[in-house]
Amino acid sequence: MHNAPKPNIEELPTKAQLFRSTIIAGIGAAAILVTVVLPAEYAIDPTGVGRVLGLTEMGEIKVQLAEEAEADRLLDEQRALDQSSSLLDSVFGLFVSAAHAQEAWQDEVTFVLEPGDTAEIKMTMEAGNTVTYSWTATGGRVNFDLHAHSGGESVDYERGAGQTEGEGIIEAPFAGDHGWFWRNRDSTPITMTIQVRGEYSDIVETY
Amino acid sequence: MTSTSRVLRALAPTRPLALTFILLAAFMLTAAQAFAHNVTAGDAGYIQEIWGVKIIPFIYLGAKHMVTGYDHILFLLGVVFFLYRMKDVGIYVSLFAIGHSVTMLFGVWYGWGINAYIIDAIIGLSVVYKALDNLGYYQKWFGFQPNTKVATLIFGLFHGTGLATKIIEYQIPQDGLLANLLAFNVGVEVGQLLALAVILIVMGYWRRHPNFMRQATIANVVMMGLGIWLTAYQVAGYIAST
Repeated sequence: MHNAPKPNIEELPTKAQLFRSTIIAGIGAAAILVTVVLPAEYAIDPTGVGRVLGLTEMGEIKVQLAEEAEADRLLDEQRALDQSSSLLDSVFGLFVSAAHAQEAWQDEVTFVLEPGDTAEIKMTMEAGNTVTYSWTATGGRVNFDLHAHSGGESVDYERGAGQTEGEGIIEAPFAGDHGWFWRNRDSTPITMTIQVRGEYSDIVETY
Repeated sequence: MTSTSRVLRALAPTRPLALTFILLAAFMLTAAQAFAHNVTAGDAGYIQEIWGVKIIPFIYLGAKHMVTGYDHILFLLGVVFFLYRMKDVGIYVSLFAIGHSVTMLFGVWYGWGINAYIIDAIIGLSVVYKALDNLGYYQKWFGFQPNTKVATLIFGLFHGTGLATKIIEYQIPQDGLLANLLAFNVGVEVGQLLALAVILIVMGYWRRHPNFMRQATIANVVMMGLGIWLTAYQVAGYIAST
């Protein structure tokens, strides 16, 4: 017993109608695959339609992020093998005098980020250290990931996209380099100004 | 990078050896740091990298979410399983669409984040409910047929809450949120229509088969089994997460 009567065969679509629908659906699926799915997933855009729709940009960002995630993974593996870097890290910490928190900013970092460029600015901190920061982006809007990872531990303090300023305090849950990954996805060069004060032994930069 | 300037605080100038060592260490640390940020890849990564109104990309993401969301597709299949008049298909699919649109839009806008495992378990139960309904068990057990239109609408509300929970996890930027959310909703409906087109063609062929009604019983039992599996899977995930 079903919650429906058996349909009369006359009320159902004919085989010819179904065949025609199948052909149309097949052509539609192929068209969607080429003009929408391939651009949006893999930045493969043979017809150029994906670019017009803004989907190829999505595919390019995804491909780029996938490559960076893979590079990240390899880097983590390499770090796990490379014990000497953590040794250097601790020696490094001994030589630099402790910073004193005061009202004025201790350090100011400025640089220009061209469209598509990335940069990392990080403070070398011990577990429990705090840093107060303030930053501005002029000329465009910036994406960032305020984070740290060291020895298998990682923390994400804040992420943002299309921002022009930010401020706050971070407290390091573990020793390591804590700071920002910056990326310019805007169309104009961005001048970044970052001010920090607090408990850190050094500022590390990667461009 | 066109210019780089930095105001360094004073380092002890009387310790050149230490300074050299620091610079060497800093260089080595820096070299190992290239591109080491916590990358979020895929759709969520894309959403976190953009800002502003992006209508077509969000329509695409909504459609993709629906077409690849097997729990929504399974429920949709259950709803239209015995509907062969286009008018009925239209009514039921619209009820489902209204239901999930309401909770999806309000859920994201007001941040009704429900535990993803719990809501997905309820969505699994909606599949079980519809399979039992198709098999005529409610008439057998309770002696009456619960209103199928109302059930479709109510389960639509739960499916929308599930969608909202996923979108909140995506962390769509506030800049352009409303337009992007509406675009995502349009995409969900587009995806639903695309999935429906395929379902109706397959069902069209199947219904013409002389043994359709007998096979329909088996199909709905299988569907119920999948619904139970989805529910159990989410409940297990919930227990593991607490």
